[in-house]
Amino acid sequence: MKELIRKFTQTAGPSGYESAVRNVIREELKSYASNIQVDTLGNLIVRVGEKNRNGLSILVAAHMDEIGVIVSHVEKNGLVRFSNIGTVFPRFLPGSRVVFLNGTRGVVNNEKPEDITKIPKFEKFFIDVGAASDKDCPVKIGDLAVFEGEFADYGLNIVSKALDNRAACALLIETIKQIKTTPHELIFVFSTQEEVGSRGALTAAFGIEADLGFALDVTPASHILGTKMQCDLGKGPAIKVRDVNFISDPGVVNWMIDGAKKIRVPYQLEILDVGSTDARSIQMTRSGIASGALSIPCRYVHSPSEMINMNDYQNMIALMVRLLTNPVSLG
Amino acid sequence: MTVIEPFLLSLLSAPGLSGSEGPVSKIIAEKWRPLVDEISSSRLGSLHALRRSAVEGKRPSLMIAAHMDAVGLVVTKIENGFLLITAVGGVDDRILPGQAVIVHGKREIPGIVQMIPDRLMPSNLTNEPLRFSRLFVDTGFDQKELEKFVQIGDVISFAQPPILFKDDYIAGHSLDNRASIAALTVCLEELKNYNLQWDVWAVATVQEEGTLRGAATSSYEIRPDIAIALDVTFAKGPGSNNHMTFPMGKGITIGIGSNVHPALTGIFKKIAEEIDMPYAMEPMPRSSGTDSMAMQITADGIPNMVIGIPIRYMHTPVEMASINDIMRAGRLLARFITSLETNALETIFSGKSS
Repeated sequence: MKELIRKFTQTAGPSGYESAVRNVIREELKSYASNIQVDTLGNLIVRVGEKNRNGLSILVAAHMDEIGVIVSHVEKNGLVRFSNIGTVFPRFLPGSRVVFLNGTRGVVNNEKPEDITKIPKFEKFFIDVGAASDKDCPVKIGDLAVFEGEFADYGLNIVSKALDNRAACALLIETIKQIKTTPHELIFVFSTQEEVGSRGALTAAFGIEADLGFALDVTPASHILGTKMQCDLGKGPAIKVRDVNFISDPGVVNWMIDGAKKIRVPYQLEILDVGSTDARSIQMTRSGIASGALSIPCRYVHSPSEMINMNDYQNMIALMVRLLTNPVSLG
Repeated sequence: MTVIEPFLLSLLSAPGLSGSEGPVSKIIAEKWRPLVDEISSSRLGSLHALRRSAVEGKRPSLMIAAHMDAVGLVVTKIENGFLLITAVGGVDDRILPGQAVIVHGKREIPGIVQMIPDRLMPSNLTNEPLRFSRLFVDTGFDQKELEKFVQIGDVISFAQPPILFKDDYIAGHSLDNRASIAALTVCLEELKNYNLQWDVWAVATVQEEGTLRGAATSSYEIRPDIAIALDVTFAKGPGSNNHMTFPMGKGITIGIGSNVHPALTGIFKKIAEEIDMPYAMEPMPRSSGTDSMAMQITADGIPNMVIGIPIRYMHTPVEMASINDIMRAGRLLARFITSLETNALETIFSGKSS
């Protein structure tokens, strides 16, 4: 189970350039699903089961892209200036390492700051790939890189870059493996470009026209860090109530809570002051879809060392299987 | 007392935060039912009310959207018997300390928004308004009792009752945008005695504050030929008299800018002038901050118009509006609707009518 997460997180796939991740996921899925498609925006769409009399068509989206950087300019001295793909926090940049899609590696650092007590602005940073000049620099404008962040097994907790959202991609595959029969038509979307505005999920949901949809993602478990959000590792999957761009359908929230209670797994309710998920795109498709989101609590989101708890992960798989194999009541 | 006043007072006394519009939706549905031919709810909870055209066969349709959701607060954490909170929509947190609120948990619980006493504040914060991170709601309950009735995600609405002032001013916690719901109701009442050439959809949208979800999905479902967003805008007041504000009690605003269709701006100006209705032009250089942002780009695009009712003290529990302006907005819309002929789409957008 951890091996799958390791494999997924260590594959590079910044927004818009998800093909390597898509291939790894497709390879993994081959023996469990036959109906696999890729749409125009690169979403990997897997259909399982058929809708029977008590069934719905249910869309579940887990984005497979990750944050990264893109070269905007190479200085004469060979230093590489860059822009962000998705939300990259300057505070995690100094000393971090990147690897370009062409294999070039580099370290991130910044110009000498005027005030060392303040985090420099984004434009003060550069990537050093060891080039002596722009002429012999192995990367050029438009090349993309992701952050390096090795997978580490701490026992109950695991650490890696890109647990946002490869942990959810792996979790979705474990769920698919465990679903034997279902009254529903299940449409699983491994979506693209979530980190830059949930674009893959937007078009996928429009094409699919589901009765019900939800996103699988990670959510900041920052309870220990002095914030006023009550979410932490080890306290169960988080059922989203709302975030910056999205308000869950109350029926979907209750359906998820009931599911967790039925199989006696712990759960947390999630309110998020920063960020959003694919759920926002699913909800406003066409004339609207009842929507929600389930999240894996995750510390240090969008840093090269994100952390999740394996109990939460296991409990969320159990909850997913329960939700997707039983009749749905959104009353 | 105007005819709309009792209804407006009931709207301003009802909760209905973004995503939890149930209570106010019920009140609106009851009021609109006798004024329209059919009424239904969208999947996201927007109220769709149709006044059918008297014309047989295919006819154009107009959608007027007034959002019914209100800004407020939501529980993020329950700590030592206090509720930590964040905003639903763009609440102005500077005015929150001391406000009476209602926590909508398993049952409704009264509470007050509070903060650290001034004398006990860290010295670097004493001169600044308190942001959400330092505010909390006190309900008098202890942690154990609180956990029985309240969970994370429960919304908190303002408890401020509406206040009627001398002449025609009114204050309340959700004049944004219940003032427009009242105006749309005035419009529907005006239309009672007319046969309409167009189908007219009065839509009370959900989730405008922050996300525009209701308008996006309702306009997709209805696919009107023209859409109008009816919303409040900034009124002039002490310290806010620049070009971004409009006189209160002196008429409505007509949107002009990339979010609205220039032909519709022209038509509305013309109609306002014909009936001697005072108005101000409201420039919307980028986007209007209203449901029109979503409706304009629905499906293959819908020509839009934005009509504004100026209010003071936006996004506070005591927003203030002029009932006269509300009546005017309703009458202007009714006049526009009754002027619509079945071929109006051609005349409006070919430029012939202006």
